[in-house]
Amino acid sequence: MLITAALAAGCRKVEGRLLRVGLASEPKTLNVWLASDASSRAVLRLVYHCLYERDPETLAFVPWLAESLPVYDPAGKTYTIRLRQARWSDGRPLTSADVAFTVRLIKEFKTPGCSRWKYVLRVETPDPHTVVFRLKKNFATFLSRTLQISILPAHKWKSVANAARHAQKPLAALMRFKNEAPVSSGPFVVRQWRKGAYVYLTRNPYFFGKDKTIAGRRLGPSIDGVLFKFYGTTDVAMLALRKGEMDMYWHHIQPGYMSVLQKNPHIRIVNSPKSAIYFMGFNTRRPPFDDVALRKAVEVLVDKQFIVKRLLQGRGSEMWSVIPEGNKRWYNPGLPRPGQGLNRKQRIKLAFRILSSAGYSWKKPPLDATGRITSRPGELLTPDAKPMAPFTILTPPADYDPARAISGTMIQEWLREIGMPAMARPMEFGALIQQVKVRRNFDAFILGYGRLPLDPDYLRSFFHSRNDRPRGWNISGYHNPEFDRLATAAQREMDPEKRRRLVFAMQAIIAADVPYLPLYLPTLNEAVRTDRFTGWVPMLDGIGNRWSFCLLKAAKGGK
Amino acid sequence: MSLKRYIIRRLAEMAIIFWIIQTVLFFLFHLAPGDPLSRMVDPGMTHEEEMILTEQLGLREPVGTQYLYFLGNFFRGRFGISFHYGRPVARIIAQRLPNTILLFTTAVILSALAGTWLGKLISWRKENRTDKIITVGALVCHTLFLPWIAMLMLWFGAFKLGWFPVTGMISPELWILPQATAPEKALDIAWHMILPMATLFLIHFGSYLLIMRSSMLETLTEDYIFTARAKGLPENVIRDRHAAPNARLPVVTSVGLSLAFSINGGALTETVFSWPGIGRELVFAVSNNDYPLALGCFLLIAAVVLAANLVVDVLYGYLDPRIRY
Repeated sequence: MLITAALAAGCRKVEGRLLRVGLASEPKTLNVWLASDASSRAVLRLVYHCLYERDPETLAFVPWLAESLPVYDPAGKTYTIRLRQARWSDGRPLTSADVAFTVRLIKEFKTPGCSRWKYVLRVETPDPHTVVFRLKKNFATFLSRTLQISILPAHKWKSVANAARHAQKPLAALMRFKNEAPVSSGPFVVRQWRKGAYVYLTRNPYFFGKDKTIAGRRLGPSIDGVLFKFYGTTDVAMLALRKGEMDMYWHHIQPGYMSVLQKNPHIRIVNSPKSAIYFMGFNTRRPPFDDVALRKAVEVLVDKQFIVKRLLQGRGSEMWSVIPEGNKRWYNPGLPRPGQGLNRKQRIKLAFRILSSAGYSWKKPPLDATGRITSRPGELLTPDAKPMAPFTILTPPADYDPARAISGTMIQEWLREIGMPAMARPMEFGALIQQVKVRRNFDAFILGYGRLPLDPDYLRSFFHSRNDRPRGWNISGYHNPEFDRLATAAQREMDPEKRRRLVFAMQAIIAADVPYLPLYLPTLNEAVRTDRFTGWVPMLDGIGNRWSFCLLKAAKGGK
Repeated sequence: MSLKRYIIRRLAEMAIIFWIIQTVLFFLFHLAPGDPLSRMVDPGMTHEEEMILTEQLGLREPVGTQYLYFLGNFFRGRFGISFHYGRPVARIIAQRLPNTILLFTTAVILSALAGTWLGKLISWRKENRTDKIITVGALVCHTLFLPWIAMLMLWFGAFKLGWFPVTGMISPELWILPQATAPEKALDIAWHMILPMATLFLIHFGSYLLIMRSSMLETLTEDYIFTARAKGLPENVIRDRHAAPNARLPVVTSVGLSLAFSINGGALTETVFSWPGIGRELVFAVSNNDYPLALGCFLLIAAVVLAANLVVDVLYGYLDPRIRY
């Protein structure tokens, strides 16, 4: 009887224009300072908005909470920004005081990931709709990175900041604020968060963009609300999607699921480029990878095309620069592509030539006197004629990322073809990070950054010699004075075209020295149901962007 | 020794064991490879920012100092703040624990009742066809690979038949409605419990049945069963009143410990069914180096298992009058 009653209770259909979004895990917080996970960021993206957005097609800046593009005064090193007439979800006006409060909060508490604000001398608010940022010195990434932060409601956060200020650990206290009912500047407002079950957002009646045309698009939202649901495994999420229990799965779907999803007429797969990099890193501080010739030999032995075709099942592309190709403004298309299109024999021959000319030799060479490849090459001998010591390629485990783990094994086999004593070793992710970033005790590793900023300033973090220290981002220990000079210049260069040329030159240096060997870039595969909503906006990093949620409409004849 | 003295002695022993567990767990977590910051940082964060974060999380102190803080806080009833959630560990556990107890305790009790009852019946028909079929069936259930059977249940019950929800503990679509009534919500939870409970029932039921069956078969060779038969008592009275109460003792131990361990939930069951319980949280905490949360979960399990052992031992004295303390 109970089962029958329960079954009857369960046969409820979703009503209205409520969008159901599946997440891979529950958001850990709605506090913007603690939200480092994808799920928290997904919810917060609909709640807290920035001064500027990116155009989905050109990726150019579009004024969002700001009314127009900032006006820069080189003499005074000031940026002046006019704000739109906007309100918070509780009806209070969003003013320059909110912007100034957010900046002061960041500077006072030194919130993680906001170090760029240290270049801001002060913020002035001549009137409620004008903000003036006075910089200490020229700072090229001010617009692209610094102004991309979420603006917080001062009236809500003032008391939080005051309480945190008097705590023993102010930043920790600020990060521990629960913020379960955030006051929103976005199209939706959090109505209810039932832990372990769902987050429910309804329309924000005061959303500034409602019925406004921005960048040629008339904004909504036209949907009534968003319901975030959480799924423990991708298998279960895919069943829910096929069954119609969700309208969108906001998470990358592995290629293995595609064939089943494609059979469903109500499901559409959206493939988007990612701002990410998956690469092999070398420890340039110690042998054997302190030798650029060896790194170049590895580069030609690694068959990126094979990885993309077999491991990613064609859903991705080979990477040739440390900046992804989708980032059109900063990607240098003129870089060399060593080994592209070669078959295995050609790769071995090319690597043989590179190593031989650098002084390497073999107990039994991989090529015989006639230039033919031998089946089992002997040990590789270093230029001082000693056998090369075995080295390890660290990878995350297969349950964390199968592509990276299997790539490691493939690369191990390719390197052994020429006598390199390579050994791929999967390691728990946290332990791997500790090993390469904190202890810096490794030979090579395969890692990825799935969420690279669009501004290329991260090249400076990755390769500037100043960042070669424990917990520093220069994991490879790469040192090149010319690169350092260019990186520093690019950070200060305010002329966009000159800065672009500098970034192109930085990419060329990295491509020549190979401290990182870019491997592949998987396509971001997302799936949506087409029977209830339409109007998803494809963009770099997927359809889960602010534009989509402002432009979605109910599908014709939708259930 | 009186029961009171026995309990006092056991409580003292438990306190020492608990302190040892606490200490070993603390150092194990802190010495294990891994970095709690690894999932909180990105290339946009500078070295200085990472250092500030490390200091704010209290990870810059020497491990010995951290241990003393931990013990001090523990005796003041504070279990720390989760690195990941930024919320008190006690509150996170308090939110998840009832969900786990609801699902797992219900499943353990139901499967114990059914397993004991059926084990008792088939032992009476030893070696006949029904006994063989049920025994083999119980063995199969007992050895089933849980994630596989759970996915099979989901695929068939939720996807193919469409009778049950794919995931979760409640239907958000119902719970967000202001007009949803309490009975409707209760039925909704029951509806969501059916598949995970059926999975757990299948897994546990087999083991209880086998324990009860073998215990009954042993009991049936006892002299007092012959005496009961010689007295001309009906077979069902011999089975239910004379044999079964004695045969149940090993099942009580097994159920007691299963109930205790059930509070850690089944990480696999909770993950497959997206059940917001403590098992999933535990696995998540360990894999993310969230020491405070992982320690909190493990200490809770240790405390409950120690307490359950004591309760089972005391209960034995009542169930078996031969046992004296």
